[in-house]
Amino acid sequence: MPPLIAIRGLRKTYRMGDENVHALDGVDLDFQKGEFVAILGPSGSGKSTLMHILGFMDTPSEGSIVFDGEEVARLDPDRRAWYRSHRVGFVFQAFNLLPRLTVVENVALPLLYRDNSDPAANLAAARTALERVGMSHRLDHRPTQLSGGERQRVAVARAIVGTPSIIFADEPTGNLDVKNVDRVLDLLGSLIKEGITVVLVTHDLSVAERAHRVISMRAGLVQEDRVR
Amino acid sequence: MTRLFDRVRPAVINGLRELQANKVRSLLSMSGIILGVASLVAMVTVVQGMVGNFRQFVDAMGGIEKITVLREQLPKEQEHLAELSEGLTMRDVERLRRTVPLVRNISPEARVGYEKIVYEDRETNTYVTGVTADYLPVAKRWVEPEEGRFVSDLDVHNMADVIVLGSAVVPELFAPNVDPVGQVVKVRGRRFTVVGILNNIEGTGMQIRSANSRSSGGAWRYRNSGAFIPVSTALTKYNGNDRLSGLGLRIADPEQLRDAVDQTERTMLAAHKGLRDFSISTNEQTLEDFRKTEAAFKLSLGGVAGISLFVGGIGIMNVMLASINERIREIGVRKAVGARGSDLFLQFLAEAAVVSVVGGLIGLLVSVGIVTLMNFILTQALPTGAVATLDWVIMGEGLAFSVVIGLVAGVYPALRAAKLDPIEALRHE
Repeated sequence: MPPLIAIRGLRKTYRMGDENVHALDGVDLDFQKGEFVAILGPSGSGKSTLMHILGFMDTPSEGSIVFDGEEVARLDPDRRAWYRSHRVGFVFQAFNLLPRLTVVENVALPLLYRDNSDPAANLAAARTALERVGMSHRLDHRPTQLSGGERQRVAVARAIVGTPSIIFADEPTGNLDVKNVDRVLDLLGSLIKEGITVVLVTHDLSVAERAHRVISMRAGLVQEDRVR
Repeated sequence: MTRLFDRVRPAVINGLRELQANKVRSLLSMSGIILGVASLVAMVTVVQGMVGNFRQFVDAMGGIEKITVLREQLPKEQEHLAELSEGLTMRDVERLRRTVPLVRNISPEARVGYEKIVYEDRETNTYVTGVTADYLPVAKRWVEPEEGRFVSDLDVHNMADVIVLGSAVVPELFAPNVDPVGQVVKVRGRRFTVVGILNNIEGTGMQIRSANSRSSGGAWRYRNSGAFIPVSTALTKYNGNDRLSGLGLRIADPEQLRDAVDQTERTMLAAHKGLRDFSISTNEQTLEDFRKTEAAFKLSLGGVAGISLFVGGIGIMNVMLASINERIREIGVRKAVGARGSDLFLQFLAEAAVVSVVGGLIGLLVSVGIVTLMNFILTQALPTGAVATLDWVIMGEGLAFSVVIGLVAGVYPALRAAKLDPIEALRHE
């Protein structure tokens, strides 16, 4: 079976003053469908840059990305937005729920930006996603009325509402207590059963150990790619 | 089109929610638009009221097609010829009728004076003037069919003792249940039969202050008073000479006013052997003055409204920029979950539009208040107070103005939101 994502020779160079900084310095990786992967590395290792490029928020300076059989390394912003709303989900450390919207509206948000989006259908899909993460009892609450663990589960629901191929979780447990760390990581790990590729981006080895494959990065290069 | 609507609708709903969430801030940012729309609508309404008023006033003076010839003292250089001056007479009427074809009607007027009119035990004082049947077309007046008739040519020929009363005179002389037509009144002891009542002038823009519909305030009251008798009766039975106090000329075509004035002047000078014992005036100057006043009002008040709308637009832009700064993270989140730049552009443009439309609506409410207040003050201060009426078209235009301002003011902030880099925006604290 071909990989979901195949990246070859990926480079990202920033200009910082007079110097060129190589955030990614030639990365080759494959991600399979339904894989639970952790990208481990200290800050500055290039793991966030890799996540942003694979998540269609940024474009590489060089290299190729084949996503689901299509070359996607150099797409225009609107096309990248299409991929973000149809193929990718994000879970952030800081939850990033919009305070003005209710829980169910937050979860429905990615569907709002699809063509022919139907508000009633969007809310129905959001309720299903919230059921999946065990948050059905808080549909009409505001994010500020929830605990950290609850907020992150709502964020996971938002990431899966559009039935993406891949979910990027950027330090998803950084703001959570121990009990909720397990719960959220279990939840993320369980998504692979639905064929979703889950990518944990973290600097925390104990978090990375929960994934089935750990990619260690340093200075813009893959240092180790280990399947447990 | 429907796709655009599908995108605009949630943006507008979102805008309304933002407005609701930031009531005070939104109200402050709207204040410029509120003031701008309110002053624009109130200004246009009041100026239009004044314009309508003035048109009626000029019309009541006989309109632009009226030429007035009045008897005058001779100028200094001709004073020694005073005994040659005959003044205005019925002979002038005949001459003008023959030599100035541009003039359609000529109304000779002989003032008898400010006289006491007596009916049974009631009396009132008013101006009594001798006129002919031509008075009606020249003064643009009429007698309602159920109110009798005016002085006729036959009355003038017969030197009849008939009188037509102004509508304001009637309630002074007659009890409400008495039909004035056919009654006999006395003027300086002479008995006159009332044959008609002149139409009542009520400017639509005028405030009628008396409970009695026949007497109205101010200039209109003056227009509605007076009594009219045949000019021959006035000259022979009261004045004892053939001198008229003035002539009213009505021309067929207002475009030919200048020519008609020139012809009248030449005819009169020739007939009066070159003596300038008359003056010729028109309503043109009055109309011109009024047009200038109107233009000045529109310019100055329009300028005020324009400036406040401009400031209102800047206010909205300012608040939108501040709001975007506060919500950089939100913009990042929306982009991360799939929003295009155009989605965010629409969202923030819709927010600016919602703020300005709501501001515009509040402005319309305020303008209703201002116009009501101005009407109240004007009717208190001036008997001929101009009463302006609100016009849906003007209000619609005011609202449209605010929408345009809001959209224009929203473009730059919305572009900034659309162009934000999602990664940077998500990192923003």
